[in-house]
Amino acid sequence: MSARDRILGRLAARLQTGEDRAAAVSARLAGRRPETPRPSQSRTEGAAMVDQFCAKAKAADATVTRIASLDELPSALAAELRNRNLGPSIRIGADPALSGLDWAGIEVSHGTGRIEEPATLSVAPYALAETGTLAFRSGPDNPVTLTFLGETHFAVVRAADIRPGFEELFAAHRASGADPRTLNFVTGPSRSADIGQKLQLGAHGPVALHIFVVD
Amino acid sequence: MSQPKRPRVALFVTCLVDMFRPTVGFAAVGLLTEAGCDVEVPQAQTCCGQPAYNSGDRETAKRMARSVIAAFEGYDWVVVPSGSCGAQIVKDYPLLLDGEPGWAARARALSSKTREIVSFLVDEMGFSPTDVRFEGKVTYHDSCSGLRSLGVKAQPRALLGNVEGLELVEMADPDVCCGFGGTFCVKNPEISGKMVSDKTANAAATGAGTLLAGDLGCLMNMAGKAQREGRPLKARHVIEVLAGMADGPAIGEGRE
Amino acid sequence: MSAEEPTSRRFKENVREAMADQSLQKALRAAGGGFVAKRSAAAGAVPEFEAIRDAGRDLKNHVLGHLDLYLAEYEGKVTAAGGHVHWAETAEDMRRIVLDICRKAGARTVNKGKTMISEEAGINGFLEDNGITPVETDLGEYIIQLRHEHPSHIIAPAIHVPAEEVETLFREKHTHLPADRNLDDLSTLLSEARTILRKKYFEAEVGITGANMLIAETGQSVIVTNEGNGDLSQSLPKVHIVLASLEKIVPTLEDAATVLRLLARSATGQEMSVYTTFSSGPRRAEDPDGPEEYHVVLLDNGRTEMVGTEFQEMLRCIRCGACMNHCPVYQAVGGHAYGWVYPGPMGAVLTPSLIGVEEGGLLPNASTFCGRCEAVCPMRIPLPKMMRHWREREFERNLAPKAARYGIRLWAFFAERPALYRLATRAAMFVLGKLGGKRGRFAKLPLAGGWTDHRDFPAPEGETFMAAWAKAEKTKAAR
Repeated sequence: MSARDRILGRLAARLQTGEDRAAAVSARLAGRRPETPRPSQSRTEGAAMVDQFCAKAKAADATVTRIASLDELPSALAAELRNRNLGPSIRIGADPALSGLDWAGIEVSHGTGRIEEPATLSVAPYALAETGTLAFRSGPDNPVTLTFLGETHFAVVRAADIRPGFEELFAAHRASGADPRTLNFVTGPSRSADIGQKLQLGAHGPVALHIFVVD
Repeated sequence: MSQPKRPRVALFVTCLVDMFRPTVGFAAVGLLTEAGCDVEVPQAQTCCGQPAYNSGDRETAKRMARSVIAAFEGYDWVVVPSGSCGAQIVKDYPLLLDGEPGWAARARALSSKTREIVSFLVDEMGFSPTDVRFEGKVTYHDSCSGLRSLGVKAQPRALLGNVEGLELVEMADPDVCCGFGGTFCVKNPEISGKMVSDKTANAAATGAGTLLAGDLGCLMNMAGKAQREGRPLKARHVIEVLAGMADGPAIGEGRE
Repeated sequence: MSAEEPTSRRFKENVREAMADQSLQKALRAAGGGFVAKRSAAAGAVPEFEAIRDAGRDLKNHVLGHLDLYLAEYEGKVTAAGGHVHWAETAEDMRRIVLDICRKAGARTVNKGKTMISEEAGINGFLEDNGITPVETDLGEYIIQLRHEHPSHIIAPAIHVPAEEVETLFREKHTHLPADRNLDDLSTLLSEARTILRKKYFEAEVGITGANMLIAETGQSVIVTNEGNGDLSQSLPKVHIVLASLEKIVPTLEDAATVLRLLARSATGQEMSVYTTFSSGPRRAEDPDGPEEYHVVLLDNGRTEMVGTEFQEMLRCIRCGACMNHCPVYQAVGGHAYGWVYPGPMGAVLTPSLIGVEEGGLLPNASTFCGRCEAVCPMRIPLPKMMRHWREREFERNLAPKAARYGIRLWAFFAERPALYRLATRAAMFVLGKLGGKRGRFAKLPLAGGWTDHRDFPAPEGETFMAAWAKAEKTKAAR
């Protein structure tokens, strides 16, 4: 008998109740669960939802710029790079949303994150208004290492892709059919309080997170 | 004119009050009578059984619970000048005797009519002290069981607000344990000593001359520590002040 | 049992040492109420928080009642995504499984995200003994690894280390850096650690992380961090190993959301930690980054024996640390005094379950039952009730100290005989009252050293209430 079978066997022996436990599990996995409370902050809608996303992201020490269309992204990014005394270069993946843009003036390189990476840009397919959180999918479009290795991480998200709460975000993710290795939720830049219990930004991940919200 | 019937209240005096601070028992009788109750003191009472229960001696705790139930179930209310003993009857007796034929229902019945005294005065009797004076600053420690098991928090503060001349100053962390914990204080003396010295420091930092609480165990612990540290802090049960009986020696204070 | 010998049996000596350790006491004071205030503000900002706690409790109860079925479901999903699930009945099994995977990967260095299961299983020491270097990448874990210590808190492992000792440590260990470099403020310390660890991420062949949750619906493991180290540890090496205990399962993504809504608020007072990552399987065919292998090692180590007992509810724990942040005992002595992997109230319940009540029995006795842990536990685990259950098991098995047992028996003998009790207490209080009356207290009292070593013992007023009351009633009747 394998360790697996012994472990599962011990559990099964201790958990027999007479009810149809398998049916209860199937029902739960099929999405039938008891009415579950959620925070009211996960129920905003429309313009208020986008505003809340921006406010919550800022509260988590991200910075936010709202732009009218994706075409404005290169100039907005160039301005942000200048503001932060960063060189005019950016590392990105193969996301089609970025491929048609006119990057005039910014040196764009494509690929995964490298050991020294001053600035990276990723596209977030979803975001959460509930907590000001971005959600990224790993893959060639947006290699996951770009999210963690950029000193400054730039992210772009469409206002239409912001969801009120986890429930709507997960529904959208299931509907997309995407099956990435990782689904990465990011709320503000990296931080640690492990030295003297004083919070500092920029632990292993980015020191700064800047979000472009495309209205 | 028909008077509403005065409730018959049994006082569960608690072993510590019985032995160490009878003044608190008389303060309880005084307040309950003033609030419109007929007070009786069942003679068969000794202790609620917590020392056994918290030491893991469940069988002794059950026997004690059954004796308390038998002695107290014939009254309209059972009132206790201690959140800790009160919670033992209200919360733990029903758990201890759960599933015991006959006793389970009796435990639940007693639980439903047992109250800690300050919350009883406010919540059940709508009582408020009149013509009671106490000069000076006091600070109030929230004893753990009263606070977290029975929700005693606003009631003592509300009643103290009606005492003339009294100024209540809140200490830092009034809801953090004083380190008494029954047998804990002798089983883990160093930790208990640290906890109580944090408590007396917080109490003293308010500038209050008097430290009040609703549980004699905590009060003896805090009084003993304050005295050992030479702090000019007098400890009293909150109902001594509410009953206007705070003119005698404070806890651990000599009669000189 | 972990590879490290527990010292929970020595709890009392550990306590004395901790209380005499000025550096520890300073660090504990500095950390102090920060967590408490932040948790309180975060919970208070969500009107539905208490209802979500109920939902969290119910969710975990449902999982524990169907744990075998969910584990099998989860395993199927991991396998379908190209991952491997390994089952470890004991810590030793887990160590062997991890070493096998590392050897197959030809690993010389292993990067580690923060995992308490690794501590429980004693992975680091075992890898070192077998010629593989584990590198802790969580900043706090890195600090204590350099100090050859273990975590003293489940979410703030280096909470016992004052900031200035980190500077001394880095100067001592980072000898390749100029000795006269400026490390005056915390940011220079952080950036030094960041630079050193950044390089290590790229060198390791294997990355090990823990798991805050395992999702049965999707076969994903979930990690929650603020630093991003767990993500770099799992994304850069060619093999990712997840170490998790059996009870980390949740059924669906939405159930994971319920836990996430409680976890960070209870732990650090954040609405969300910075990085919450759901991972499944190795890199996809088209992926430019990520590990080529994905392994999950599931640890039992005594947990299945808790199922169906009065300790089952402990398996709801999501390791937020709120109980120890709110525990006055933990705050007085820190985490190392508990003598094994898990400190504070959750440790006081879990330790005897996992390593035996003979070893861990003092821990559930080190509580005043103040109830602050239960009041903040996001999963509403009745921690004091379970500590009492341990005391009951000890009492039943005659493991409680003799003096305590005799004391309780003697007291019970009187307390169950009210008339005798009346006489005895009356006489005793009369004597104590006479002896202590003038001064009002005792600085020393025979048999009460535990009390009087630390505080005076208040003298009784002299007459018992019951005696005085009987007298007063008699007078009233005579009138």
